Amino acid sequence: MSTVPSRPGAAWQAYLLPLLMALVLLSLALAIFLGVVDLDPSDTLAALLGHGSPEARAIIIEIRLPRILTGMLAGIHFALAGLLLQSITRNPLADPSLMGVSQGAMLAVSGFLVFSVYSHDTGSTTLQELPVQWLPLVGTAGGLAAGGFIYLIAFRRDLGPLRITLCGIAVGAVLHAIGIGLMAGWGSGRLEVLLEWFAGSLYARGWQHALFLAPFTIAGLAILPVIRRPLELLRFDATVARSFGLSYQVQFSVVLLIACALAASAVGVVGPVVFVGLIVPHMARFLAGRHPPLVLPLTIALGAIVMTLADLAGRLVGGAEEIPIGVVTAICGVPLLVALLRKTP
Amino acid sequence: MLSCSNLSISYGPRKALDGFTISLAPGEIRALIGPNGSGKSTALQGLSGLIKPAEGTVLIDGAPIAAMTRREIAHRLSFLPQQPTAPDEMTVEQLVRQGRFAHVGLFRRYDRRDEDAIGWALESTGLAPLAQRSLSALSGGERQRAWISAALAQEAKILLLDEPTTFLDIGYQIEVLDLVHTLSRERGVTVVMAIHDLNQAMSICDRISLLEKGRVVFDGVAADLAASGLIERVFRVEGQFVQISPDGPPHFDVHLQRRQERRTSAATA
Repeated sequence: MSTVPSRPGAAWQAYLLPLLMALVLLSLALAIFLGVVDLDPSDTLAALLGHGSPEARAIIIEIRLPRILTGMLAGIHFALAGLLLQSITRNPLADPSLMGVSQGAMLAVSGFLVFSVYSHDTGSTTLQELPVQWLPLVGTAGGLAAGGFIYLIAFRRDLGPLRITLCGIAVGAVLHAIGIGLMAGWGSGRLEVLLEWFAGSLYARGWQHALFLAPFTIAGLAILPVIRRPLELLRFDATVARSFGLSYQVQFSVVLLIACALAASAVGVVGPVVFVGLIVPHMARFLAGRHPPLVLPLTIALGAIVMTLADLAGRLVGGAEEIPIGVVTAICGVPLLVALLRKTP
Repeated sequence: MLSCSNLSISYGPRKALDGFTISLAPGEIRALIGPNGSGKSTALQGLSGLIKPAEGTVLIDGAPIAAMTRREIAHRLSFLPQQPTAPDEMTVEQLVRQGRFAHVGLFRRYDRRDEDAIGWALESTGLAPLAQRSLSALSGGERQRAWISAALAQEAKILLLDEPTTFLDIGYQIEVLDLVHTLSRERGVTVVMAIHDLNQAMSICDRISLLEKGRVVFDGVAADLAASGLIERVFRVEGQFVQISPDGPPHFDVHLQRRQERRTSAATA
């Protein structure tokens, strides 16, 4: 008895993944060649190959390339974290900010800055003297701590998806309030670095940021084949999933940990870029249609594309005063989400 | 095959199951009956190892279930809870494929045997033509059969069903019962099912366990249940057992309050 059914629409969906890979490369190329500083395309190409003018080389190799790569990695992190969280909480609106991860990172960053400003007492209001190089690490630690805290609360009774979502929202709100409270009355130019980070930005992100993210990305992607099937089963009730043979609590915890690590590291580096984690999985599911195995790779590719293009748009539209990527994703994300939700059955 | 002795499960201060004991022979069909809240679902969840009992042990082929992983349990036993939910966009076939998780695990590819099991599960529930339909587009009866199909794909020798016929019309109810009977007689599958319809229980089951407030008050064949007089007491109804065909199961005929009133008023008039 053969059960290889004919799958309607399989023809065009087979081209989807190669198409998106091409789009990843195209958006990468666009982001490299376009920018506020008008560089001659041939100059840019030469710079990429290690020749060209020192000015072009500095702009391309030291500024644009690391910034784009950081954005792509962060985009993959947000999108994957969103997909994982939406699956295990069975909540289509779950994303890192809903789970308190973003707020945890935010509180850690603002707390760290307040502490460092007053403990060093440099008496300066300039940004340069703030220890910004520590922000990714601090943000990641804060996000992970918040995720761990929420997990512990939820784990004490059971790991019901509703409970963990509500815990995430409640804890996130408290952390957010404290984070904002820390900044209150904290006038002066120092606020700028915080505000820019809070909006979610790729401004001045360099190689060290891409390198900071890379281990998380590699670990996250490497573990995906292991959690592929559990991820499907985690979308059922715990009773059903366990009856099918899944060790629910172990797998739930593993997936939640991966999601938190991906989200927290990305928030730590670029700040809470909203809507990427929420929308990209929906786009991927919409495109994948009845081919669930496609959702995971599509989410990864779309995460990189969306982040790169959103950052490019923010760079080009804003001119010298670029628009932070978080603002772009928020503005473009809402109508897209509404459109996708209307199309979803 | 499957047995447990003195199983007790509490939800907070309330004892939902109190000293539950059962022993099943291979291929046996067992009905769990009892009023709402008498512990039928709890008993099934305890038997499938989904709830850790306060006391007692469940044994599958002599081995304690508490020492097995979920996958080891799923190999031997498949449990279909009451009104399970699935992601809306999932198709029938995708749901049934999940039933093979116990066999394929995290990495192994679906091979010929897996595909055959999935095909058989779809065929025997009559769902093969609907395999590509998404679950949200199915009727209640079709959805219930899709879940049964997923449980069948698991190819376990023990099948626990929690009210599999609820919300189905009589046609589908009989279809489910016939399927259970076929599985038991042709494949030697041991079936335990919680079921509300007393007459269906008596007609299909080899033995019946009657639960009341978490305790087993009867364990035996239908004829003895009819003779015990327990049904009327436990369910607080009046009625009588009648034998419709000489070699068939007994049939319980409930007296409706309204019908009795009519009879008494006719007598006085």
